[in-house]
Amino acid sequence: MPADAHALTHARPTPASPGRPGLLGWLSTVDHKRIGVLYLGSGLLFFLLGGLEALLIRLQLARPGETLLGPDIYNQIFTMHGTTMIFLGVMPLAAGFGNYLIPLMLGARDVAFPKLNALSYWVFLFAGLLMNSSFVFGGAPSTGWFAYAPLTERAFSPGTGVDFWILGVLLLGLSTTLGSINFIVTILQLRAPGMSLNRMPMFAWTMLVTSMIAVFALPSLTVAILLLLLDRQLGTHFYNVAQGGDALLWQHLFWFFGHPEVYILILPAMGMVSEIIPVFSRKPLFGYRVVAYSSVAIGFLGFTVWAHHMFATGLPSAALLVFSADSFLIGVPTGVKVFSWLATMWRGRLRLTTAMLFAIGFIALFVIGGLGGVSLAVVPVDWQLTDTYYVVSHFHYVLFGGSVFAILGAAYYWFPKMTGRRLGEGLGKLHFWLTFVGMNLVFMPMHILGLLGMPRRIYTYAAGKGWEGWNMIATIGAFVVALSMLVFVVNLIRSLRRPPTHEADPWDANTLEWTTASPPLAYNFAEIPTVRSARPYWDAKHPDLADWKARR
Amino acid sequence: MTAVATADARRQGIARTGMLAALASETVFFGTLLSAYLFMRLDQPGWLQITATPARLILPVLNTSVLVVSALAVTLGERAVARGSQRGLAAGLAAALVLGLVFVGGQILEFSSNGMRPGDQAFGGVFFTLMGFHALHVLAGVVLLGINLVRTRLGDFSPARHIAVTMGTWFWVYVTAVWLAMFVGLYLI
Repeated sequence: MPADAHALTHARPTPASPGRPGLLGWLSTVDHKRIGVLYLGSGLLFFLLGGLEALLIRLQLARPGETLLGPDIYNQIFTMHGTTMIFLGVMPLAAGFGNYLIPLMLGARDVAFPKLNALSYWVFLFAGLLMNSSFVFGGAPSTGWFAYAPLTERAFSPGTGVDFWILGVLLLGLSTTLGSINFIVTILQLRAPGMSLNRMPMFAWTMLVTSMIAVFALPSLTVAILLLLLDRQLGTHFYNVAQGGDALLWQHLFWFFGHPEVYILILPAMGMVSEIIPVFSRKPLFGYRVVAYSSVAIGFLGFTVWAHHMFATGLPSAALLVFSADSFLIGVPTGVKVFSWLATMWRGRLRLTTAMLFAIGFIALFVIGGLGGVSLAVVPVDWQLTDTYYVVSHFHYVLFGGSVFAILGAAYYWFPKMTGRRLGEGLGKLHFWLTFVGMNLVFMPMHILGLLGMPRRIYTYAAGKGWEGWNMIATIGAFVVALSMLVFVVNLIRSLRRPPTHEADPWDANTLEWTTASPPLAYNFAEIPTVRSARPYWDAKHPDLADWKARR
Repeated sequence: MTAVATADARRQGIARTGMLAALASETVFFGTLLSAYLFMRLDQPGWLQITATPARLILPVLNTSVLVVSALAVTLGERAVARGSQRGLAAGLAAALVLGLVFVGGQILEFSSNGMRPGDQAFGGVFFTLMGFHALHVLAGVVLLGINLVRTRLGDFSPARHIAVTMGTWFWVYVTAVWLAMFVGLYLI
């Protein structure tokens, strides 16, 4: 790194902790970095809880005729596993990185609405605790994460579990909507001078699109569950066919939210990978605008494919045709991104740090998950495979191999910025390889189990169907993944106990968050920089090779 | 531009963008409610529905005009503060606030005079839900206008600085527009 690399910030004051010290400081904070850390910490705890639930599921399914959980508890566990991982794990972890990084990446001092930001976090935490408290207050919901009505109607789910689920998801919808409005306004209004939309870091682009998707998709879920709540508590008949209601209404409302939700989970991950790969390839992101606009295209197309979750419900054949075609179409902008990442790495000077390994793992596994999705867009294939383990395998390749891998990569990449310390690379590589091998051991056999006809959501199965071996492999894989997460937690704790080195720019990176101290100042930047390209820090470190000069 | 003017412009940009995003979300909310209702009606010959006879429409039309007039009042109030008339702003806000409460009262009367209950087939729930969620938004608007009225009395607004008034106006006009869509959906089609 050249000596004048720090020109952008001139003086680099020593890191100051933002806000009041101690517990009260954390409880009362409206600082985006602290709220980001709160999101990340809570998200990690819920993620580990969801992981324990996954282990219970895999133990129950390891052998035919297992009696560890029993059908009722099993249903509660898989419902809470899905709900937790999606709403309390991956979404808050993405929100945590977004909160911490977006103002720093944009050259802003905070988000647009800091108090609203704190409200979003506390509502999320309360909702998560509320939902999980149902385990001790009369049983958790047991109707699956998509909670199909009329199964969730009072007549068929008389306990309070569904009501806990409804209230929890309502609050999480509120939290996410407020958080998304905050991101949208921050990104559109608080960028540093000179940072046009086309000079934003790609993570800011994907968070912008993600937030817009959330703002447009979540109300559909809100309506669906409000109607369900009214049906359950006030005796309306929205989902009751006998009284003029509609049994398919829930599925339409839910999936109009539910499919865009997949992109809410994957787009931030794509943004993280788009930050990591250029830095460790020592090249600018290939086709910056194409990558940015393909996110926008995914955002739009994501709203046109919801009924591919409903191919088996007897939709008219014209609808099958349209939704199938759209589902193929959405593979195009997704594929464009994959080729952009590969082209960025092509002939780059690769540094295989743990963050980079997770990013490369993301590409490999996400492509497998994406191809599974494309195969399910073929209506007859879907008719054969819907509600089998093939589908479970597909979305875990996308959400675990995709979202979670990117988040883990992001943890290794941005941990030094947040704490002033690097995570151990030795343990990190062990973590990566255990996760990669374990993940494939769990989910690759599920493709085969699905093709062999094993339905999802059954709590046990009889011997002799050819499912035993694959299930045992998947369970072993689940414990390998659990071991890998243990390694991660050990790595986190060990790194935090080391004295900080306060490296401002450990990876020789390109974006503004690396120009300030590690951890950053309470007010982020001593001086707000003026931006002239998509790689402002690169420009500052290499004035002769600055991107904005190359364009001329 | 002076530093104060720049900060003001930024604050206004933040408020406008935030309100637009929130209203976009609300639009999907009400749009989904209406579409859910219309979707349920498809292929249901025995669907229970309000028959839109002229006599039956008197109260809803009166209610609707009350809300439309209130939207006019709030808009005129905002124009007044832009011209520097504090009194005009206070009058517009107060009129809209009262008319808003009259509207909610009228909606309650309309719902109860119908003899319909939330549990009366699917439409009872639809009627209750569409009117109820809209009325809740009107009440939220009443609170917003009330805060702005108090702030007017405190002298918070000037021709150059009254973004909170503008946002309150946006919200109120938006909620009025939503009701027009609900009216068409519930009574006319």
